[in-house]
Amino acid sequence: MTAEIIVVTSGKGGVGKTTTSASLATGLAMAGKKVAVIDFDVGLRNLDLIMGCERRVVYDFVNVVHGEATLKQSLIKDKRHENLYVLAASQTRDKDALTQEGVEKVLDGLSEDGFDYVVCDSPAGIEKGAHLAMYFADHAVVVVNPEVSSVRDSDRILGLLASKTRRAEKGEGPVTQHLLLTRYNPARVAIGEMLSVKDVEEILGIEVVGVIPESENVLTASNNGIPVIVDANSHAGQAYSDTVARILGEERPLRFIDVPKKGFLQRVFGG
Amino acid sequence: MNAKMDTSDACDLRFGQVGIACVRVRRVDAASLCDELERRVRAAPQMFSRAAVVLDLSHLLNLPDDGAVDALLEAVRSAGMLPVGLAYGTSETEALAKRMGLPLIAKFRAAYEPISGGQAAVEPAARTEPAAPVQREPILSAPAPGSMQGAQHHASSVRSGQQIYARDRDLIVTGAIANGAEVIADGNIHIYGGLRGRAMAGAQGDEKARIFVSDFRAELVAIAGHYRVFEQIPDDLEGQSVQCWLEGEKLLIAKL
Repeated sequence: MTAEIIVVTSGKGGVGKTTTSASLATGLAMAGKKVAVIDFDVGLRNLDLIMGCERRVVYDFVNVVHGEATLKQSLIKDKRHENLYVLAASQTRDKDALTQEGVEKVLDGLSEDGFDYVVCDSPAGIEKGAHLAMYFADHAVVVVNPEVSSVRDSDRILGLLASKTRRAEKGEGPVTQHLLLTRYNPARVAIGEMLSVKDVEEILGIEVVGVIPESENVLTASNNGIPVIVDANSHAGQAYSDTVARILGEERPLRFIDVPKKGFLQRVFGG
Repeated sequence: MNAKMDTSDACDLRFGQVGIACVRVRRVDAASLCDELERRVRAAPQMFSRAAVVLDLSHLLNLPDDGAVDALLEAVRSAGMLPVGLAYGTSETEALAKRMGLPLIAKFRAAYEPISGGQAAVEPAARTEPAAPVQREPILSAPAPGSMQGAQHHASSVRSGQQIYARDRDLIVTGAIANGAEVIADGNIHIYGGLRGRAMAGAQGDEKARIFVSDFRAELVAIAGHYRVFEQIPDDLEGQSVQCWLEGEKLLIAKL
């Protein structure tokens, strides 16, 4: 039994990769899977903050890659889900501290330990860190915002996924690509300020696996160290739950992609 | 005292975008290099005769010694081209260039991204030079050169940053070509999808080559080095199926 490796990537920074990694890993764990989520953004570690375990990082990913600590010592158990583990990045090193052999060793180790899924949170860009995060992937979640520069960067990443991954190099079949549209604001789409789901699908030539609406809950959740998927009342949380279900093979209709209709009271009093 | 005061600068010094052909050496064999280049020069003399050439040794497993490099440079010269430098590579290439008294010319484009990905950091940023499509080296090299063969078929999308080159033949693409992607062919190009990137037909100088697109939103189209860039796509062409051809020096585009 080998672990399925999912990379969360985008090319562009600030589109919601880490938020997505945290919610995706948590969602898979909530579905009963044994999950590890790894922060590949060495030097700018953030995932531990979003996961709310920043004060429990003793050993990190780079320590394991260099053999300075064992996987067991470095995996941080999530406080809400017992089958979810976080492997934090090092804040003091840079991306050159990662090696392909080292990363492979860590991923093999996680497979041996019986993990079902390993979620790799990629750094922005297309350099070494991002390359290593995607290299071993079986699935890729490409996070894209509804604006042209993000779409173009995602296109580049989709091209790299098809050529610069182990699967591509060894001819083991393509990396399964999932397009996730985040920070979607239906009201701004309606007045033409943002690209629509259809626009993005058309430009990139693949269908979206989920649409996460722009939501204040995301920021609040991040600041509190709680992945937004845990907040079942928020639209963003629900949209992430749908997305995880779709990645696991369930069919669910897209929600939150239309402008919400105002209720009677809102129409009377404004709001 | 100067009788005449000329306050203007004596020269301008800048890095421009000039067309330089790049000869990527696959094996150290001066005689066959000379033959191959002679054939190319004969095929398109206006393009390659006395063309400035950069020798790229990065595809050789071991860097050849100075004598062998001298022989390669001589081979290029006797084929009718003018070697002007070595392509940027490892520190050994740098030392070699210094010994030979040749400039080291940085690689031009994303096409040169190292296969290992290891030394990406030392590569200079990719640059585009729309005016000189013929002198580019493709990422995906076509089968061995020969006479016109059947078309090369590309069944999927071409993503931003990717480049497809059909050497000595037509290219058929059945997917979309994204912004920042390039498709190049020595023959015609047929695109049964959206063209948002660049398409260059007749890359070795065939002025009869044409480009056919079923959904036109191109950044640039070129035929035999004559190109048109589209900062704004004309309303009557956008999203239409069009063909592009050359009439004299003029690149024409019309709805199909």
